[in-house]
Amino acid sequence: MSKAVQVRFGGFGGQGIVLAGLLLGRAASFDSKFVAGSNSYGAQARGSACRSEVIISEDPIDFPHVTIPDILVVMSQRAYELFSRQLARGGLIFYDSQFISPRRRRGVVEVSATGMALQDIGDKRVANVILLAAVVATTGIVSQEALLRAIDESVKDRHLEFNKKAAALGFGYKGVLP
Amino acid sequence: MAWKRIKASLPPGRHYFSGNEAVAEGAISAGCRFYAGYPITPSSEIMERMAHRLGQTGGVFVQMEDELSSISAVTGASWAGAKAMTATSGPGFSLMMEGIGYAAFTETPCVIVDIQRAGPSTGQATRVGSGDIMQAKWGSHGDYQIIVLSPWSVQEMYEQTIQAFNLAERYRVPTFLMGEEAVGHLRENLEIEPWVRVFDRKKATGRPPFEAKSPRQIPPMPSFGEGERLLVTGSTHDGLGIRRTDDPKVHARLIERINDKILLNKPTIVDVDGFFLDDARVAVLCYGFTARSSLSAVKGLREEGYRVGFMRLKTLWPFPHENVGELSERVERIFVPEMNRGQVGGEAMKSSQCEIISFCQTNGEVIRPEVIRKELMRLL
Repeated sequence: MSKAVQVRFGGFGGQGIVLAGLLLGRAASFDSKFVAGSNSYGAQARGSACRSEVIISEDPIDFPHVTIPDILVVMSQRAYELFSRQLARGGLIFYDSQFISPRRRRGVVEVSATGMALQDIGDKRVANVILLAAVVATTGIVSQEALLRAIDESVKDRHLEFNKKAAALGFGYKGVLP
Repeated sequence: MAWKRIKASLPPGRHYFSGNEAVAEGAISAGCRFYAGYPITPSSEIMERMAHRLGQTGGVFVQMEDELSSISAVTGASWAGAKAMTATSGPGFSLMMEGIGYAAFTETPCVIVDIQRAGPSTGQATRVGSGDIMQAKWGSHGDYQIIVLSPWSVQEMYEQTIQAFNLAERYRVPTFLMGEEAVGHLRENLEIEPWVRVFDRKKATGRPPFEAKSPRQIPPMPSFGEGERLLVTGSTHDGLGIRRTDDPKVHARLIERINDKILLNKPTIVDVDGFFLDDARVAVLCYGFTARSSLSAVKGLREEGYRVGFMRLKTLWPFPHENVGELSERVERIFVPEMNRGQVGGEAMKSSQCEIISFCQTNGEVIRPEVIRKELMRLL
């Protein structure tokens, strides 16, 4: 990885968009990369638009906010509509097929994250981790070990087991790169 | 010696932290053991982490009823011997102004963190701004000096918090860390060194706590309970702290001393950073988060061969007039981008020999590199 990779997550508040960004950033930090993470910050609560962003680089990052994402990870149709037009050439969009029907065909990777969360774990709250793990397995932007370590350090003990199970599910769901 | 080396608050190595979390860790590392505050967006994570960390380190944490009492509790704790801090944002900062004047006049070491948001008044609570730079210097009445630092990264939120405590203790002065929402909520790697260099206020039994032999010197500071006869007042006082409210000589001498002790020590206080300045025709003068956007823009233009330079003010007060003056003799124009209506740009005009071009953005959003680039292209 020579240049910086910019990742944007978008969805509803409550889906774990901010946590997904935190986990990816922390994982990249464990992988000894330079990282800058930020997220939408406001008085909005569950159900409103939510965004989080991470830049991962081999070199120090001057401007720490995402300018043009290389990877877009979306969990709501609204986030898809809002962000899919801002994507780098050759960029990828990972989407949760429970909520989104993409208008484009090129560069999109379908992950039935919420579907798998409900079916295999019985709790849709871990859809974000399934989706993130699928992104990691497909693109290799961080190592799988680093992501597991990030989950260990960021998630409360009582939620650890099913988050790790979710990560394993996501790692197994290696999307076919378009 | 008042300098000593102590262990950092966290295990050495890399951590992934937000700027606000880094401030709290910097405070714990510097030896802060007292925090009084009132939570306010976008600074609240500092208070939250201090509540947690002071519990672990045997310190005292108090959630006060408001910011007036917060700054007063911090001042009291400092006179009881603790290294003390509070953190707030614009509206709370405004409420603290009276107490800040008291702390400055009584020469009380303390650290005040202002994570700036878009003002005035309640403004946009979750949005960014840098509108409190002049308030930090001139917010309380009368003539006094303070020290203000301006961090641009999570690493610097940690390091400058430690530095703020050291400067406060060394010069017996309220010291401010003026972060912005965008740095407070930014997450980056934080590299923790195993040891931290800290300065503890000087003690000298029986010596007057408000009098120094030379204008550069800082009087020793006893604490209550150490056996010294100690009087602390916000009224004009002599070297022993006794109220002298109608002696012109005493008042003049005290005002002169609390200003000189900072201004005459400027060379050891002020810190600036510069890149690409050797052959620059235009220089960007910047601070805080906007310096990140500026550096990005300047690097891009340099790659294309434009003669543009970069100077970052890590210290905002006492204002680095000497550095700005020197820069202005080498370049044709100085461009000052700010998330306010030109507070630092206006101050820079006092010492600049060349034209200062102020660029102001007050829409609650950070100034993006492409905006700075576009403005610079017009000047090059």
